Amino acid sequence: MPGIQYYDLRHVTGQVTHIDIDNGVVESAGSSFFNKAVIRVLSGTGWGVLQIDNYTPCTGKKFDAILESACRLARITQENVILGDAPHGMLSVPPMKEDPRNVSIEEKSSILSGIETAAKHPLVVNRRANFIEKIEHVRFTDSSENEYSYEMCRSGFNVLAVASRNGNVQMGYEREHSIHGFNLRHQQFQGKKAAEIAVALLDAGVAKSGKMRAVLDPELAGVFAHEAVGHASEGDLIKEGNSVLKGKTGQKIGNENLTIIDDPGIHEFGFDPVDAEGVAVCRTEIIKKGVIHAFLHNLETLSSVGNGVAGHARAMPGEPPLVRMSNTFIEAGDATDHEIFEECRNGIFLKGSRGGQVDPGRGIFQFNAEYGYLIEKGECTTMVRDVSLSGEILLTLHGITLCGNNRTMSPGYCGKGGQSVPVSDGAPHILLSDAVVGGSGVD
Amino acid sequence: MRWWVAVAWIDQLIHEAEKTVDEVEIFYVTGTSVSANLKQKKVDLATTTEDCGLGIRTIHKGRIGSSSTNDVSQWRECLNAAIASGKLATPQEWKGLPEPAPLSKVTLSFDDSVQVKPAVVIELIEKMLEGAAEHPAEVASGSASVSSSQVTLANSRDVRYIDKHTGVSVSLEAIRGQSTGYEFDHSSFFDKVDPISVGERATFFAAESDNGKEIATGEYDVLLSPLAYGELLGNVFVPALSGRNVHAGRSRLAQSLGKIVADPMITMYDDPLLERANGSVRWDAEGTPTRRVDFISEGILETFAYDLKTAYRFGKKSTASAKRGGFGGLPSIGHHNFVVDGKRNEIPDDRVVYVHNVVGAHTANPMSGEFSVELSNAFWMEGGEFDTPVRSAMLSGNVFDLHHSISGLSKESRAIGSMILPSVKINRQHIIGK
Repeated sequence: MPGIQYYDLRHVTGQVTHIDIDNGVVESAGSSFFNKAVIRVLSGTGWGVLQIDNYTPCTGKKFDAILESACRLARITQENVILGDAPHGMLSVPPMKEDPRNVSIEEKSSILSGIETAAKHPLVVNRRANFIEKIEHVRFTDSSENEYSYEMCRSGFNVLAVASRNGNVQMGYEREHSIHGFNLRHQQFQGKKAAEIAVALLDAGVAKSGKMRAVLDPELAGVFAHEAVGHASEGDLIKEGNSVLKGKTGQKIGNENLTIIDDPGIHEFGFDPVDAEGVAVCRTEIIKKGVIHAFLHNLETLSSVGNGVAGHARAMPGEPPLVRMSNTFIEAGDATDHEIFEECRNGIFLKGSRGGQVDPGRGIFQFNAEYGYLIEKGECTTMVRDVSLSGEILLTLHGITLCGNNRTMSPGYCGKGGQSVPVSDGAPHILLSDAVVGGSGVD
Repeated sequence: MRWWVAVAWIDQLIHEAEKTVDEVEIFYVTGTSVSANLKQKKVDLATTTEDCGLGIRTIHKGRIGSSSTNDVSQWRECLNAAIASGKLATPQEWKGLPEPAPLSKVTLSFDDSVQVKPAVVIELIEKMLEGAAEHPAEVASGSASVSSSQVTLANSRDVRYIDKHTGVSVSLEAIRGQSTGYEFDHSSFFDKVDPISVGERATFFAAESDNGKEIATGEYDVLLSPLAYGELLGNVFVPALSGRNVHAGRSRLAQSLGKIVADPMITMYDDPLLERANGSVRWDAEGTPTRRVDFISEGILETFAYDLKTAYRFGKKSTASAKRGGFGGLPSIGHHNFVVDGKRNEIPDDRVVYVHNVVGAHTANPMSGEFSVELSNAFWMEGGEFDTPVRSAMLSGNVFDLHHSISGLSKESRAIGSMILPSVKINRQHIIGK
């Protein structure tokens, strides 16, 4: 069409199956269906975007009319958006070990019930287990005749145990989500583990707050990489001037042992075979040996900001793509876990994650561990609950003094701009000196 | 959409369902919106949305099934999926969906002066930028949107309700150096949103918070803005009032009916019939006629919130608290206009730490209420005036316990999502300096 410089269409249809078991009662179980599309057009200014529920694919005059209405909308924009150049292409989606569609919902429900039942304990007053399976058929086309289509299935479960004694209420929470197919089998131990943690937390102490040395487990250290570094390296925030990392490419902000990566191409929960603009995904070294190396970009921020790699555009079905993380991790170093605890000597060991948040412009992050242990003379001693960690990005990264030699990844979801996308975060155990720990204990 | 067209397939769906199940309920939403996003001071993206969602619930011998779809022409498949889903659910006590009630047809959260047009969002953006120019800080990003939607609820007991809603929302994020400021406003009514003030306050907080001073770790009297208080209340306290969480053992307030759970000056209620409030509705997401629910009166816990499913199961009455998440979502327990009220006083004259916003409230422990959050735009305040900004600090405590230490409520309240909240002064809270 005349006047149109670029358009793309991302149409996602699919099905979500869920099971919710609460204290032995199947609260709900079943399937729902969705059909959502987003069409974006550039015609000399900024984006004109149509988000359409229940989209029927069309061509010719009908499709031209859709483009024309997006163009009309684009006319109210002022920014002259220019797209960068990046390679297109798609990876293959890894085959599933067991396709959840081949397992009846009755069987899924029965296995999930086993995980929920495993959380039984005299002090556990509530057990809840959820299963979710989302199948997405994605079709992408753009004005340069790039065309991709693929199918992704993500499935997983979480189990919660709530323990209570004399008005003290604590919880244990375990989860596992995967792109590799049905993952409910042989997971009863997760229910038992959730219960054991909830019960143990009834007797846990409260952490004293203040500055101290902290050892972060791989899950929490992964959240740290995601919150403290990942968000601040997103090209759209850099462009807005809303990140403390802006203009700091090439600057050293951490020790030699610190390398932080985002890679949508590895087969973890944040995997995308191709990004939401049809750009080939690849590994991006955000921080390389302590130096700010590359930002995460989409085509627009690649062109306007530079110093980074495109292929990081992601979107929920029917939503416009944003610059997002996928699988974010701190590279393994060479320290053994024993060395890390020895070096910490006296401090706190923080385990698991209850989530986190960042203000990238201020460079302030906050996140919460599920629980922790005091470290005394290099050994874990008393269990503590409700411990959080916060700090300033530019000051804290220098404090990562040791990285362990064994990295693991944990699945989760990340919210930004009203959209939630699947991600994974990971790291080895890390030692953080001068961590600002929050807890309700006082001297 | 013309109503009689909708009735045709809805009646057909209900008729079809009744051949197989005892009861059926449909919830059908259509909507449209226009929005524009700012990148710094320029609009870089304009969006229109066309939303459509159908949710079906079936009840057969106490087994509740459900499904949803965006594609209304596929209602038969959706109905079959709902019926299949019901076969898996554990049966429960069920005394029927609501009968039709003689409700006024006047809409409560609809404003016909809200025009869903691109020119309207551009005007909102321009006004925000006009306000933002008041203080020396840069605009980082922002957005404005207008929306309208129509909700249809129908069931096999002849309920046929339609309601219309409108929405206007604006937000702006500003930055000066390494100091950020964020403000927003939203309403169902066009004249209740003040874009100039949103822009002005966003740059005010970014500019005023620059060059903050350290604060020593210790106990301080704090004044939480409605935004900061809403973060803690909404993530921890409000879920503990849900009947489902109470009966499931997931609420710290479960054993506290009739007991003091907050300072005697505090009253908390849900008023779905408030005039010109964003969440006002005459019937809840299951068709139960709404009414005011008094949760806490003068510090004493009076009741919990119930939908039909939880009420039938535990021998209670629905408080008309059913809400749906998004298009085609299942009903669950929520609130319409959650109000924190009580004796109002002037902003305190004594020296307090004012907290405009907090970072990380969702990481609080929803069971025990323990939290520790980073402060955003915190200031020393004296005589109601902003004094020195606080650079960086954590606030740590317990959301349930701090309600016993409330010592004042501001005269003005503000809508934060579906909550209507004053600023709250709380004595002796633990702040951790850096």
